[in-house]
Amino acid sequence: MFNWNKLGRVFNPREIGDRSWLHEFAQAPCTLVFDDFVRVYFSCRPPPDENGQYCSYSAFVDLKRNNLFEIQKLAVQPILPLGGIGEFDEFGIYPVSVIRDGRDVLAYYGGWTRCESVPFNVAIGAARSLDGGETFRKLGRGPVLSYSPNEPFILSGPKIRRFGDRWYLFYIAGRKWKLVDGRPEPVYRIRMAWSRDGIAWTKIGRDLIESRLEEDEAQASPDVFWRDGRYHMFFCYRRSANFRGRENGYRIGYAVSEDLLHWTRDDSKAGIDVADEGWDSEMISYPHVFELDGRTYMFYLGNQVGREGFGLARLEGEL
Amino acid sequence: MRHPAAPQLRWRKLGKIFDPARFELPNNCEQFAQSPQALVFDSLVRIYFSSRERDSSNGKYLSHVCFADFTKDFRHVIRVTDRSVIDLGKLGCFDEHGIFPMNILRHGGRIYGYTCGWSRRTSVSVETSVGLAVSDDDGLTFRRIGEGPILTSSLREPFLVGDAFVRVHGDQFHMWYIFGTAWKRPAAGGAPERTYKIGHAVSRDGFAWEKEEARQIIADRLDLEESQALPTVARIGDRYHMIFCYRQSTDFRENKGRGYRLGHAWSRDLTNWTRDDVGVGIDVSAEGWDSDMLCYPNLFECDGRTYLLYNGNEFGRHGFGIAVLE
Repeated sequence: MFNWNKLGRVFNPREIGDRSWLHEFAQAPCTLVFDDFVRVYFSCRPPPDENGQYCSYSAFVDLKRNNLFEIQKLAVQPILPLGGIGEFDEFGIYPVSVIRDGRDVLAYYGGWTRCESVPFNVAIGAARSLDGGETFRKLGRGPVLSYSPNEPFILSGPKIRRFGDRWYLFYIAGRKWKLVDGRPEPVYRIRMAWSRDGIAWTKIGRDLIESRLEEDEAQASPDVFWRDGRYHMFFCYRRSANFRGRENGYRIGYAVSEDLLHWTRDDSKAGIDVADEGWDSEMISYPHVFELDGRTYMFYLGNQVGREGFGLARLEGEL
Repeated sequence: MRHPAAPQLRWRKLGKIFDPARFELPNNCEQFAQSPQALVFDSLVRIYFSSRERDSSNGKYLSHVCFADFTKDFRHVIRVTDRSVIDLGKLGCFDEHGIFPMNILRHGGRIYGYTCGWSRRTSVSVETSVGLAVSDDDGLTFRRIGEGPILTSSLREPFLVGDAFVRVHGDQFHMWYIFGTAWKRPAAGGAPERTYKIGHAVSRDGFAWEKEEARQIIADRLDLEESQALPTVARIGDRYHMIFCYRQSTDFRENKGRGYRLGHAWSRDLTNWTRDDVGVGIDVSAEGWDSDMLCYPNLFECDGRTYLLYNGNEFGRHGFGIAVLE
C-alpha cells in the first residue's frame, strides 16, 4: 500500500468572498508547475439560481512553490466564458485539464448543457492559451470529443496527457441514467482516446477499469502518470445510489498498466481514505498526482465533491 | 443570371398520396406524415415517414418512424405498418424524444436507416444528432448499432447535426446533412429559433464518417439567416442534382412568404455545387394541400423513372405527395 501523508486542506473557496463566480466548490484540481509557483486549476460555482440550479466556471490559484499552503495569486476572472445559447458548454465549464504545448497551454474541459428528461449532458471542449495559462480561447463553439454509438452521453472529466509522440485523453463516458427513487442518476466509466494533433481523436471504445463495488459503479477522474516503467492511475469511484453521503460516496482507487490499454485494478494499494472527521470525512475524490522538487503529491477533494475545497497529501516512500 | 449550363428539372405533380388521418398508426401517432423516404421493392414501394404522438407527461410531441407500402403507380396503399419500426432512444439518449427523419439506404444486401434523433433541452427546445440503425427483415424493423450517434456536434458545428441523406457513389459513402450555425432569441420575443446549413461527410463503410467540418456546401439565397434542410441527391443525366428545402429563420410557421420552399443545386463532381433554385422545376400550387409550403424532399428512382416525394402545408401535418420527372 502506498503511504500518503495528508497535509491538510489547501484551498477553501468559502473563504474567498470577493468574486461573484467563486462562491463555493473548488473541484477537480489540476496543476501546471512554474519556476516559483504551482498553478492549480479548479472549477467553482456562484450561488445557484432561483430554481436551485448551478453553473460552473473554471479558474486557477497560484500556490508558492516552496509552500503550497500559501496563495500567491488568485484568478480575477474565469479562464473561459460559458458558451452561447444552445452550445454544449452553455451552463458549465467543469472540470478542466491543462498541459503545456511548446510555449502554449492547452486545456480540455467538460462543457455542460441542461436537458429536459435528465438534468444535464456533458461533452469535451478544448481551448488554447498564449499567455502561460492565464486566459484561454476556445478552439471552436462545439466540442472536440463528443458522443458516439457506445458512448451515448456524459463525456466528461478529461485528463490530457502526452506520452511519446501521441496525445492521450482519459475521460469518462456515461453508460446509463439510472432511476433512483424517481431521480435520474448517471453511471459512467473511464475511457481513453488518442490523437496525433490533439484535435482529431480515436476512441478505443471500451472501459479501462473494471467495476468493483457493483455493476453500476461510477468512476471518475482518471489521473494517469508514468513512473518506473509503468503507467499508474489514481481515480475515484462510487456506488450508483445514495452516494452523496459517507457510506456510498466517492473513494480513491488505483490501477497499473504496462501499455495504457490493459489495466490492473488494485484499490487496496491506493493508500488514502476518508478521515474520521473534518472536511474530508465523508468522501475523497478527484485525485490529481504530480511531482514537485523530487516529491510526489496528490491534490484531492473532500466532502460534497469539493464544496469546501481541496487538500494535499504527500507520498512517503516509494510508489 | 443563371449559369449557361444550368439544367432545368420538370416535374409533374401526381398529388397527395398519403393522408395520416385515414390510417391507424402505431405508437398512438396521429396527424403528420413528415419527410417521406422511399425504399423500392420488386412489387411495391415502401415509404417511411415520421408521425407524431403526444407526450402525455407534458403535451409535447414525440416523433416516430412509420411506413406505408404503395403500389408502384402510387395510387394505392397496400399496407401501413402496425408496429414500431424503431423504438425511441433510452433515457438521456440523443434520440429519446423523436426520430425525424430516417433516411433509408439499401447497400450490399443490407438496409441502413440513418436517423435524426431529437432530445429536448431547457435553454433551447431541442438538440439533434445522426444515428444509424440496420434492418435484417427487409425494412420492417430497425435495430440501432448503439445508443449514441454516429455524427454529432463538433468544434465548428456546435449543434443541431441532423437530416442525413446517404448514398454510395463509386466506392465512397456520401452523407449530406445539416448543422446548426445559430440559436437566436427573436427581437419580438418568444422561444429561440435556429439556423442551419447543409454540409457533407464521407465514409468508407457507412459507420465511421469524416465531416468537411462546417463547410456550407450550398450558398445562401435569402440571407445569412436562411435555414436549409433535408438535402436529397440523385444523378439525373450527366449531373448530380440536390433538392432541399429552405426558409427564413423567424416567422416561418404562419407567414406563407417566409415558409419552406424547395431549393436546388447541381454538381458534376459531388464537391462543387451551383445553386439554381429556378432549376428545381416545382413550386407551391395555387390552392390545396401544397399551396403554402413545400418541404422535406426525397428523390428516388423506380423502374427507370425519377420521383420526388415531398410535404406540403404545415410541415406535413396532413400527409405527403409525389411528383414524377418528365
